[in-house]
Amino acid sequence: MRKKVIIFSVLFAALVVFNGCENVLDPKPIDQLVNDVVLNEPKDIPAVETGLYRAFRVMRPSVVLAGDFTADNLIHNGTFAQYRELGVKQITTGNATANEMWGSIYGCVYIANFMIERIPEIPGVTNSVRGRSIATARFLRGMANFTGVVTFGGIPKVTTTNIEENRTIPRASEAEILAFIEEDFLAALGHLGEKASTPAIASDNTVRAALARFYLYKKDYTKAEQYASALINSGDYELESEFEEVVKKDFTSESIFEVGYTIADDDDGTNLNNLFASRREIIPSNQVIVALASPESGDRFSSIDFKVENLKGNDNGWEVAMYGTAVQDNNNIVVFRLAEMYLIRAEARALTGNITGPNSAQSDINVLRERADAPSVGDVAQSQMIRLIEEERRYELAFEGHRWYDLRRTGRIEQVMPAFNPNWRPAFELWPIPQREIQNNTALAGNQNPGY
Amino acid sequence: MKRPLLLLFLFATLSVSAQDIKLSGQVISATDNSGLPGVNVVLKGTSKGTITDLEGRFSIEVPNTSVIVFSFIGYKSQEILFTGQTNIQVLLEEEPKELSEVVVVGYQSVEKRNITGALTSVKASAFKDLSVNGIDQALQGQAAGVQVTQSSGTPGGGISVRIRGVTSISASNTPLYIVDGIPVETGALGGRTFGGQSDNALALINPNDIESISVLKDASTKAVYGSRASNGVVVITTKKGKSGASNITMDVQRGIIDPTHKLTLLTSSELLPLQREAVTNAGQNPDALGLIPGVTDGISTDWQDEVLRRGIMEQYQASASGGDDKTTFYISGHYRNEQGIQINNSFQRYGTTLNFDHRLTQRLKLSTQIMLTRSLNKRVKGDNFLDGVYSAALRSLPYYTPYNEDGALVGPGSPLYAAFPNFNPVAQALLPRFNTVTVKTQGLIKGEYKINDNMMAIGQVSLDYNDVTEDQYESSQTAIGGWDQGVGGQGLGVFIAQSIATVISSGRVTYNKDLDKHRISALVGSELLQNFATGGSVSGRLFSSDDFTYLNSAGLIDEGGSFRDATHSIVSFLASGDYDFDDRILASLSMRADGSSNFGANNRFGYFPAMSVGWRISNEEFFKSQVVNDLKVRGSFGYTGNERIGSFAYLGLWGTTTYSGSTGVAPSSLDNPDIKWETTREINLGTDVSLFESRIQASVEAYEKRTTDLLLSRPYASTTGFGAITSNIGTMTNKGVEVSVTSVNLDGDLKWKTTVNVSKNLNKVISLVDSVPLYRGYILDGVDGTNIIKEGEPMGTFFGLNFLGVNPATGDAMYEDVNKDGLISNADGKVIGNSQPKLFGGVTNTLSFKGVDVSLLFNFSWGNKILNLTKGNLMNMGRDVLSNQIPEALNRWQKPGDITDVPRYELNNTFNSYHSNRLLEDGSYVRLKNLSVGYNLPSAFASRFRVQKIRVYLSGTNLWTFTKYTGTDPEVSTLDGSVSAQGIDLNTLPQVRTIAGGLTISL
Repeated sequence: MRKKVIIFSVLFAALVVFNGCENVLDPKPIDQLVNDVVLNEPKDIPAVETGLYRAFRVMRPSVVLAGDFTADNLIHNGTFAQYRELGVKQITTGNATANEMWGSIYGCVYIANFMIERIPEIPGVTNSVRGRSIATARFLRGMANFTGVVTFGGIPKVTTTNIEENRTIPRASEAEILAFIEEDFLAALGHLGEKASTPAIASDNTVRAALARFYLYKKDYTKAEQYASALINSGDYELESEFEEVVKKDFTSESIFEVGYTIADDDDGTNLNNLFASRREIIPSNQVIVALASPESGDRFSSIDFKVENLKGNDNGWEVAMYGTAVQDNNNIVVFRLAEMYLIRAEARALTGNITGPNSAQSDINVLRERADAPSVGDVAQSQMIRLIEEERRYELAFEGHRWYDLRRTGRIEQVMPAFNPNWRPAFELWPIPQREIQNNTALAGNQNPGY
Repeated sequence: MKRPLLLLFLFATLSVSAQDIKLSGQVISATDNSGLPGVNVVLKGTSKGTITDLEGRFSIEVPNTSVIVFSFIGYKSQEILFTGQTNIQVLLEEEPKELSEVVVVGYQSVEKRNITGALTSVKASAFKDLSVNGIDQALQGQAAGVQVTQSSGTPGGGISVRIRGVTSISASNTPLYIVDGIPVETGALGGRTFGGQSDNALALINPNDIESISVLKDASTKAVYGSRASNGVVVITTKKGKSGASNITMDVQRGIIDPTHKLTLLTSSELLPLQREAVTNAGQNPDALGLIPGVTDGISTDWQDEVLRRGIMEQYQASASGGDDKTTFYISGHYRNEQGIQINNSFQRYGTTLNFDHRLTQRLKLSTQIMLTRSLNKRVKGDNFLDGVYSAALRSLPYYTPYNEDGALVGPGSPLYAAFPNFNPVAQALLPRFNTVTVKTQGLIKGEYKINDNMMAIGQVSLDYNDVTEDQYESSQTAIGGWDQGVGGQGLGVFIAQSIATVISSGRVTYNKDLDKHRISALVGSELLQNFATGGSVSGRLFSSDDFTYLNSAGLIDEGGSFRDATHSIVSFLASGDYDFDDRILASLSMRADGSSNFGANNRFGYFPAMSVGWRISNEEFFKSQVVNDLKVRGSFGYTGNERIGSFAYLGLWGTTTYSGSTGVAPSSLDNPDIKWETTREINLGTDVSLFESRIQASVEAYEKRTTDLLLSRPYASTTGFGAITSNIGTMTNKGVEVSVTSVNLDGDLKWKTTVNVSKNLNKVISLVDSVPLYRGYILDGVDGTNIIKEGEPMGTFFGLNFLGVNPATGDAMYEDVNKDGLISNADGKVIGNSQPKLFGGVTNTLSFKGVDVSLLFNFSWGNKILNLTKGNLMNMGRDVLSNQIPEALNRWQKPGDITDVPRYELNNTFNSYHSNRLLEDGSYVRLKNLSVGYNLPSAFASRFRVQKIRVYLSGTNLWTFTKYTGTDPEVSTLDGSVSAQGIDLNTLPQVRTIAGGLTISL
């Protein structure tokens, strides 16, 4: 009988299996942090800042594709619909690359806003650390908005992390966004230190480079020249003696800002090395090959490579060399380098009448021509100089995401693009607001870019 | 086979005597262990005998070495060899009868005739001769309301089972599978995708160990499974030993496997002019692209023939069962090897099962069930992968050849290699090693303690442990391992290991009481379920040669990681009660409360009540009928839930990230503290009728299921910083009718039985948050998704442009400008069809005459659409010249005035191949799914070989199909397991036709 009692008790114990039931139902996340504890102490700031840079990096491949692929520098050689659309100039509102760019802009803006809101409330943060981290957030937020406004036109102006508010937020005007960017850049300037330990991190110089480009786009040529000169004269950067170094190396001596990859951190999204080199989904157009092979381009020809085994059918055998060979890892993507500052200043000078002579558009261009072992530019008229600068930008900045933006900015796009591809329509001067955004944000309804 | 018994009694034979000896003993019922009164006890071949008393006791004088027969109405007779025992105990088993069949419902077994909810039971005999790989396959066409679709002809591949439609938009719509009380893992286990076709955890369970399957379909039958029962429950009972004679069965099956259908593709000389025309139409020179007549079309390879083969299947199985009054056992072992129809693709499995029960004391019974299985799945890539095998064979240009002149495979570096995107499909099949080894361990220990005559306490602990190891190498002569230098270059090796385990402990107390005309039973219990998952993967490249294929030899190990999931737990409390009055009124009531770790403190627990009533009209006094021998109406109402959304949707989380050598954090998900259970309210009305002495039995069911608080990753405007949030987003309904009829048409020497089941299910998305539609499936030129989830439309709705034909003047496609803005864009997409059938079902005929039996199963699906994306590639209007085309493409528009429905071909023009209903086809079919013919050799013949039974049989699957679908096979789904985008054919391997012969011997 006693035995039975014992057995019975054991069985009954199996019934009462729960004594810590609430604990069982409330497990702790593994290898993840809950919102509330992410940014509470001074020591939390560097990790979030790293996250912000990473979010900024996610955006950059799509800038390269927008700048070179929407224009006439790249053609499609693969099977993905999103790239085929860009290649054959039949861009639709469902384009996944446009979608990725839009998402990555606001992914970056979210973390920036998160820092701007939280950091002032963390106890024990020194003024310099606070100033620097908020300046980083504002600078990168400005950069994200800049990419947005030049790619899509007026975009929603997101200034908080309030999810409900940001779910239904209308497009702001282009002017409003530009003013917001200018405000962020100017606020950041002076808090980031003169030169960072690595071009992967922003410094005051980086902000100046951004301002130079910003004012060029805004056609404020005096300020564009002023900021470009500040960098050229700073002595912090010097042109690599061989252009090929710019193509092959990360962190060159002329690099002002570039997003860095190591072997451990390929992003989940677009991978340029994969697209250009290993899968060769996207290859240089015949037109850009001809341009880069011209004497005026000189050494800049090294930004493309030819492999005879790839020459087959549609494939011209050429590939973009800037983002590593197939066996290599992703190369860094340059955001600003000194050569662009020369080009910005040259253009600003040309447009303000400073065409030839010392300290002119001509002398700036010839700095780059000389480095490329290309013939110098002689004495030419303003209109010629402007076209020369356009070509020079194509040689120097090929595959760094400039061409399409340049052609629109200078009003030349409708002359160049229809000749490149008969499918071209003026609608393609801007990318479409992604269809999914219009579907999920009622405030965007009916506000698609014209022609889509 | 009485030998073991004989052995047992050898000791008793010492006192041999020629005289009659007094034998006494007791006859007890195997059902409830009580003494059976009134049993006839007769000396065989004489009239000498007696009957048992009230306690089942008897006493008789018989000669030594004689046979005594025990018989009783409603029980199986038993013969015992008397060899001088003085006191014996005889267990009599109840005769199985159709109407008093016992089925497993929830935690109890119930007489089938007393069921007040909706369930279908399928017995092993329905699939015993078939070459089915898994239990899900065995269910196909057998049960009303259960739609089973094999995703492809890949062995060990995915199979979608939908019980009464889909109830959830979120990932899981798979029913809950319970094997002997253990909920088992379902779905894909592998860590790497293969382009569409996944592996299938259910392929690890041997169908031949199964005794019966019950499919629980309505709230009342499922309710005790509460939390995870929305999608229906499949309760599987494995074979158990029975006290009495031991039984050994051996079974051998071998067969051949062929594709059901091959596509007709163009030859080189047909394709080349078409491609040249496309290039010329684009204003380019076809010669410059290397499309040169007489050169390019010098070779014409039929890639389908190169990669497809006739596969062989073989299966060997042995089992033994038996026991005595205290202990019963069932053991089995099996080996199965099934070759796929793609070269180098196969699925092997071996496993063993032990079911063991022991009655420790009169009150305490212990049992254990253990199942061990190992499978080796040699996989190949397919469907959406350019470097697949069958998928690439369909697309690949016929201009290339798999082997060079020396007979070596053509690979990267060879001038004969087509490279992107026409990677040699034969090399893609033969060279890579994709071995997925899955080991499944399933075990249960259970104790049942009889507290008193009415009460029983039951405790059990179970484990389902799945260990998956993926051992992969893609050589330097393959697309990824060699051609794509960014990934492999000099070979790519991958190793992934994962283990997934579920541990459940539960306890319950049952109470049964019969009071005159009232019968009451009740149950209370509790359960704790925990899921554990952990794993890791590593990959490397730069192997010195293809003779070195493991990561130890890799020059560079460049990716890897490990993870452990936070433990997922469900805590449950349940109670249920059944009441039966005079076998006329049947009622049940149940309640289950489930707490899930997937929800935050606000909504952690869900409550799932259910009730049902039945009225057996045929037992009422006023009911008098010669025709109707049983008539019952019943109804049920109740709630079930779904919580399968993954952990921590209620928390906002940040995960790790890296940038240029530093490590930081990035937001990974948005918090939704109010997220709660998805709940399905179900109403079921049914009637069961039995006519002409049970010759005809029919059931009709009507139901409505309304699922609210649908759980879904809901898209958010990216301006929030997030793409989506997991939330409760909508409401969906399923309404349907099911009819099943079984008729014994002939019952003489020739027996003929027909079973018909027909189901209709109407699914509809009632509401979505903000009324915003969701896009699913593939993103193609011209659409945001091939599928849409939209208010007022069912799940599985296809979306696209409306193709209006070809403009005879220009040859361009014409599409409907839905929004009338003068442009054809994504905004002109509309609903173009649906993949859900209007009607589906099966008809089974079984015939037997003397020793021969024949079984035929036809299944059908009517009114469903298939999106033929295979055709999208194979008739691409010149979008690219990288894939072969089908003969229909030759009807393309060529010159003004041509009337055709195939637009003109122009290289790089995507407009003419925009995604539209041009690719949508009727997917209805009728198919002879299974046919088996068996012959039981006469027992006189069998006994000559000293065996009890010899059976030979022949079976076939997918022997004949009628369909208008122009693709390879109408039973297809590339997005295996998808709820919103099923019924898409994208280079999907067709179903296979299996013809097998077998031999079963029982000792």
